[in-house]
Amino acid sequence: MKKLAGLAATTLLVILNPANAQDDVLILDNDAQFDGDFIFDDDLFGGAFDEDSSANTRSWLDDFTIKISQQFSGQTNNHGIKITPGFSIPREAELETNRLGANIRYQNAFAPGWLLQASAQIRIYLNDDYQYRAEGDSVDIESRGNEFFLQRSFDQHSIKLGRQTVVWGETSGNSVLDVINTTEFRDFNIIDIEDARLNQWMLVWDYFGENSNFSSFVNLYPEFNPAAVRGSPFFFEPEFNLTDYDRDSSMLLEAGTQWRKSFEGSDISFMVAYLYENQLRYEDPAMRIGDAVAKTNDFFLLGFSANRAIGKLLLNFDLAYSHDVLADSFNFPGTASLANPINLKKDQIGSSVGFEYAISNEQTVSLGIQAQMLLDEDEGLLPGQSLINEGVFGSWLMRYSNTLMNNDLVISSTLQGDLAANSLLALLGAEYTINDNWAIGGQIINITSNDESPLLFFAEDVRLSVTLTYSF
Amino acid sequence: MQNNIPSRGLVSLIGILFLLPLQSIAQDLSAREIMEKLEDTRRATSNSALSRMQLSTCKFGVREGKITCAERPRVKSLESVGKGYGLNLKDTRSVAILLDPPAERGIGMLSFSYDEGARDNETWLYLSALGRVKRIASGSADDETEPGSLFGSEFTTEDQDTGKLDEYEINLLEETLESGREVWKIETIPNEKRARQSRYSRTVLYIDKERFVELRVEMYDQYDKEIKRMLGARVELMNGIWVARSTTIMNLVTNRLSNMAFLEMHTGIDVPDEFLTQRTLTDAAFRETELEKLRAQID
Repeated sequence: MKKLAGLAATTLLVILNPANAQDDVLILDNDAQFDGDFIFDDDLFGGAFDEDSSANTRSWLDDFTIKISQQFSGQTNNHGIKITPGFSIPREAELETNRLGANIRYQNAFAPGWLLQASAQIRIYLNDDYQYRAEGDSVDIESRGNEFFLQRSFDQHSIKLGRQTVVWGETSGNSVLDVINTTEFRDFNIIDIEDARLNQWMLVWDYFGENSNFSSFVNLYPEFNPAAVRGSPFFFEPEFNLTDYDRDSSMLLEAGTQWRKSFEGSDISFMVAYLYENQLRYEDPAMRIGDAVAKTNDFFLLGFSANRAIGKLLLNFDLAYSHDVLADSFNFPGTASLANPINLKKDQIGSSVGFEYAISNEQTVSLGIQAQMLLDEDEGLLPGQSLINEGVFGSWLMRYSNTLMNNDLVISSTLQGDLAANSLLALLGAEYTINDNWAIGGQIINITSNDESPLLFFAEDVRLSVTLTYSF
Repeated sequence: MQNNIPSRGLVSLIGILFLLPLQSIAQDLSAREIMEKLEDTRRATSNSALSRMQLSTCKFGVREGKITCAERPRVKSLESVGKGYGLNLKDTRSVAILLDPPAERGIGMLSFSYDEGARDNETWLYLSALGRVKRIASGSADDETEPGSLFGSEFTTEDQDTGKLDEYEINLLEETLESGREVWKIETIPNEKRARQSRYSRTVLYIDKERFVELRVEMYDQYDKEIKRMLGARVELMNGIWVARSTTIMNLVTNRLSNMAFLEMHTGIDVPDEFLTQRTLTDAAFRETELEKLRAQID
């Protein structure tokens, strides 16, 4: 926690850096009176026009955007989690992340109709970061390529080949149609799905018609949600090793297409896809010897999405019909709380509905509710068997944001829970843009859960995080 | 950037020839007609136009009796393409792409603005982090919606708006001098319906009699206290249109100011309809290729 205080002090120094202020300027009180004329010299911004002659002189460095960040986060509440009567797990305040990161993005339209885009990230895990501890108290460096695609656009067509994401659905944050990409929620610093999406190798073809668009994709190498990283808050020691899917046994391929049309005040889409569930299903190895067996779950998806803007209100609606999904697709071996998987394929219907409301131009509030249910859920079950998800299950997500000081300060709040009201995650965040390069953000997260939710292990946690960012 | 002002001598000459008769009849114009001509000039700057702008915002103070920035200004640069549609080209479709600062590079906004009060304006935003185009709930002319800030600056959509003159009482207060130029001092007062959507109870404009450009605008709140002041400077003939290349708006309540500098403005550009669609937001290869074609028209 001392580190958090240290960072706060450093940040204050940056904010109060005299270089950001001008000397000898009389600062006026708010609401100072301006009677009659006052002198304003436009030469203050004259430099903008001097820059004219050099504006077309581009450097290859202009194609890069680099963001360097230092993040600290931790659990701050000393408490215990009652697992069973008379038995609780102590949860002590501790630093969880202390990491220096760099995100690099490159975008270059190198010839008419051609574009190369790539992005990557490097993380250096420093003292007391959970990945530092997992590496035996040594500094660990991790790098990862994110986007990497070549795009060719001509006439009404655009073709992109490479690592990329495809996002479907209108509801922000928890759409039932946002299932093309795999995700990684490695720790509580990644709450929003927008930050968790992973890129995959795909061929994407967009056709921009006169009145409507088609967007189709083929995933040439479907991947799956990565297992929790050792040492991370979500890691638990499995009874058997969780391995990747054995690709030698079959060829995997995903494909889908979306038709989209915009009307005045509304956009609608229809989509169809053949997909694999992003989460692998693990089964105990034969004879209970060796690694867990990873099973894929392929299914067909039919979807529809729409939005409707009515003044300051935007309504969102997503509908997904999944054919032949595994009834229990989520299962980890060795976790006593979960029953043995049931090898039943069923149809599932899901919907997410939500709204966004612009309270003012600075404040918005949004709500998204996602609900899913298996059709004919009891059919095929043996006496005594039950499904992990019975009836209607899903989640809800509420967000509020307020931009202040000409967008320099953004205050946001997120509430996230499940429909059964077993858990609630409350987040309060603030991001302050210090200048064109520097920004600082902070978050407080509080988790409430009963013993019906996996979030029980984080119940009563109070988590703080601070991130300082330099972009150029 | 090419300096197109001297190199467009012929266009400028034509522009002046057009404006000279205007000047001679200017004395006979009513307040409403003056405002209509001012709006025509405003619209001309965004119709079939390619512009590059710099928006600078800072907290201001006073040094040696002059208003100046009290901190290093926050600077955003953006490129914008617009085109008029509908009856008398009074509807506008435009795309704006942020070029700087680096953290916001590539953010794009597509806007359809309708002159007709009953039609909601439409806005779509593309953020690469979001991975898709998102329709924005922005409020309609009929709603009691406060005008939005333009990319975090002190300029609001209301300050940039054209049209809907029927919703104002327009009075010619006097003919006077501003910045050494002969101007009309015109007051606009929104009617009850318009007032619900406006931050201003009254606006006073100082309009250059020769060039139909605002040199100064004072905005007053409901207590008739001046809350904002806009100053136009560097008035130059760009492609036959008089433009205040540097416009500064001062928020006299929060003591923040924003300057909008038109670094480039080219009108009469043949903007294909396909460019003013959502494709421009998502398809960067298409966008850059089309922008190059638009720029080539200037060369």
